[in-house]
Amino acid sequence: MLEEALEHLVRGIVEHPDEVRVGARRIRGGRVLEVRVHPEDLGKVIGRSGRTAKALRTVIGALAGGRYVRVDLLDVNEVR
Amino acid sequence: MSQAETTEVDITVLEQEGEVAADYIEGLLDIADFDGDIDMDVEGERALVSVVGATLDELVGKRGEVLEALQELTRLAVHRRTGNRTRLMLDIGGYRERRRAELTKLGEDVAAEVRQAGEPRPLAPMTPFERKIVHDAVAAAGLRSESEGEEPDRYVVVFPE
Repeated sequence: MLEEALEHLVRGIVEHPDEVRVGARRIRGGRVLEVRVHPEDLGKVIGRSGRTAKALRTVIGALAGGRYVRVDLLDVNEVR
Repeated sequence: MSQAETTEVDITVLEQEGEVAADYIEGLLDIADFDGDIDMDVEGERALVSVVGATLDELVGKRGEVLEALQELTRLAVHRRTGNRTRLMLDIGGYRERRRAELTKLGEDVAAEVRQAGEPRPLAPMTPFERKIVHDAVAAAGLRSESEGEEPDRYVVVFPE
């Protein structure tokens, strides 16, 4: 559910919604949601002084109901 | 163009903003499996979108922080679809309405106390939405107030005459 919610929130605010991908992986003590967006949209999902990124994390944190969830924002070309 | 026509156009724009916002929020409610109906309204010069329904406390959060975050994202979604830098207001579970009543009362009470004591009085940190309500209540009571400090710890100070 969290991946889907995050994907919806991000798709609504970017210029290239079809290129939004959300992946999830487990880490010790919680999960990481990895959002990939078109390179031109990365600035948009981070926002001025990280404001938008913070808003996304706040909402996802609330939906996670106390479980630890980290949200990473990347552009589609970034390799990890 | 007459005044009436201008107003009419503005309302259409605000209604369109409300539609986009409602779609964005409704999509989230569906995914997260929250019950809740969405009301749309125009209040003053802003679109107001309210989610009303059962248990929505998670979507409001401590001091309304989740609500503020959702409002921020919703405004961005409206901007992307309409190009408008909107001042749209989002409310969830009547939180803003309750908060407005509480903070208006607080502003009135503090103004009365400061007038008696004759000394400035700082209040607890508040969000911009909350500070605005307090400033308005203090001004209505005939006193002056200012915001001081940095976000997110910015707070209102009420001054005697």
